[in-house]
Amino acid sequence: MNSATTKTVTQNIADSILEPVLTPSTAIAVNNVTVSFKTLKGTYTAVKEISLTVQKGEIISLIGHSGCGKSTLMGTISGMVKPTTGEVIANGKKVEGPGPDRGIVFQNYSLLPWLTVYRNIYEAVDSALKNLSKCEKKELVEQTLKTVHLWDHKDKLPGHLSGGMKQRVAIARAFAINPTILLLDEPFGALDALTKSNMHVELLKLWNLDNREKTIVMVTHDIEEAIFLSDRVVVMNNGPEATIKEIVPVPLERPRNKKDIVHDPVYMETHDKLLNLLIDKFSIDDIKE
Amino acid sequence: MKAKAIKLGWSLVYFVAGMLLLLGMWDMVSRITKGEIPSPIATWGTFKEVMTNPFQNDPDYKGIGTKLLSSLARVGIGFGLGSLIAIPLGFVLGSSRIAMNIINPIVQILRPVSPLAWFPLGLAIFQDSPKASIFMIFICSLWPTLINTSFGASSIPQDHKNVGKAFGFSVWKYITKIMLPYTLPHIFTGLRLSIGVAWMVIVAGEMLSGGIGLGYFVWEEGFNGGSVGKILVAILIIGAVGLLLDRLFTSLQKRFTYAV
Ligand SMILES: Nc1ncnc2c1ncn2[C@@H]1O[C@H](COP(=O)(O)OP(=O)(O)OP(=O)(O)O)[C@@H](O)[C@H]1O
Ligand SMILES: [Mg+2]
Repeated sequence: MNSATTKTVTQNIADSILEPVLTPSTAIAVNNVTVSFKTLKGTYTAVKEISLTVQKGEIISLIGHSGCGKSTLMGTISGMVKPTTGEVIANGKKVEGPGPDRGIVFQNYSLLPWLTVYRNIYEAVDSALKNLSKCEKKELVEQTLKTVHLWDHKDKLPGHLSGGMKQRVAIARAFAINPTILLLDEPFGALDALTKSNMHVELLKLWNLDNREKTIVMVTHDIEEAIFLSDRVVVMNNGPEATIKEIVPVPLERPRNKKDIVHDPVYMETHDKLLNLLIDKFSIDDIKE
Repeated sequence: MKAKAIKLGWSLVYFVAGMLLLLGMWDMVSRITKGEIPSPIATWGTFKEVMTNPFQNDPDYKGIGTKLLSSLARVGIGFGLGSLIAIPLGFVLGSSRIAMNIINPIVQILRPVSPLAWFPLGLAIFQDSPKASIFMIFICSLWPTLINTSFGASSIPQDHKNVGKAFGFSVWKYITKIMLPYTLPHIFTGLRLSIGVAWMVIVAGEMLSGGIGLGYFVWEEGFNGGSVGKILVAILIIGAVGLLLDRLFTSLQKRFTYAV
């Protein structure tokens, strides 16, 4: 049983308001983070005074209206976005910039179009894991590409891949450097339902392979996906000055079976709760994409 | 495949039609001037005469091919040196707002200067007219490449930069794996414009400088030698080579443009 599953909702909210407590099992601590952007029309505060702690091995989903600041919050954890006030602690260290302990899958894949699938991953591995030998790096890339079933496509350029394949390359690139924290920004957004389902299983496989010790924070618009994958779902308010509206635990046993859990009363209850939290922000069409 | 062949066929038809139109007008002008401007057929005769032993390389007589190569070599050296400076400098200007703000006014002042104005300066510096023409080519090859490269480097999408940042690319890796590949099509656009200018300017330069080359051929053997036919032949050769150079860089530019 995950510790999160025993917490009540109010406890979770209390957690997010109170200064988060650092324990050895804390992977990420977001402490009172505010991010403001300078724009032509003055400063725009995207997220305000957000606090959130994520345990080691936990899978967390961020969910909220488009533009509410999910990518921005992820950015502060990855180190791509500097908090205006507050700080983020990852693996016990203050985040000052990106690092090989945190793997990022960007919202729009961000593959380099002039590099083959293989080179896209190799260059990232080469930079992030400086103390490996060339041979070890090559082996690692090969192994990762085989895990995501892309070895046969290793010499293709990103422009010649399908959306799902591009997404798998982006995921493989993040996994290859074997980070303890994985940050996935709408990793399955562009996929059809079937491919998406396969990717969920693949992601959980990779997570299991690593003894469920990797911490995963994922942005999604898909409630079913959030419930199937996560231990907790973080629902955000609309921006500007977005905050966490509520953190909903998903007390479903793992391994979860996609076909079976939809009939589970806990699943339906969680689904309902999330839908209710979002319904005054969304029309149902938006959620289902 | 079939549609492509049809398209190719049509463009061939248009090309031939254009050429026929040119030859027709040329022939008419020749008739009106009563042969002062030689007709296409007469020029063809001159062409064949000029083309005998094109690569003859005796001290007292150089073939047209030797002259062409000599002009090309001069353009190549000047253009090569210019590009060698313009591309890295373009990277710097494209990545640094401050460098851009400092260098841009200088470029804006020097760029509109006619390349021929640099010739006497080159002559004063090098005391040698072939070197002065290379200097002139060098200067005029700088601007289009510099401007296009810096524009390319300054417009690298945030997504690409993020990759470098997220995975901790070294400066060298950033330049070779992100900046250079992204900027390459822009660089080739600059190079294409540069070589076009250089090729135009070399003819004028050689008229001033003398020596071995197409420009000097036009002046000395064509004008001074009283053979309008040779002038026409030289014009056609210069045009054809210019077209080939342009096509070369266009295809390079296409080759290095990537779909995201
Ligand atoms: N670099 C920036 N400069 C200015 N404003 C920004 C910047 N990055 C994000 N914003 C603004 O911050 C807000 C939150 O953006 P963010 O990308 O985090 O939203 P999101 O929740 O990820 O949306 P989506 O679901 O569409 O991806 C938006 O209003 C956006 O316009
Ligand atoms: Mg986003």
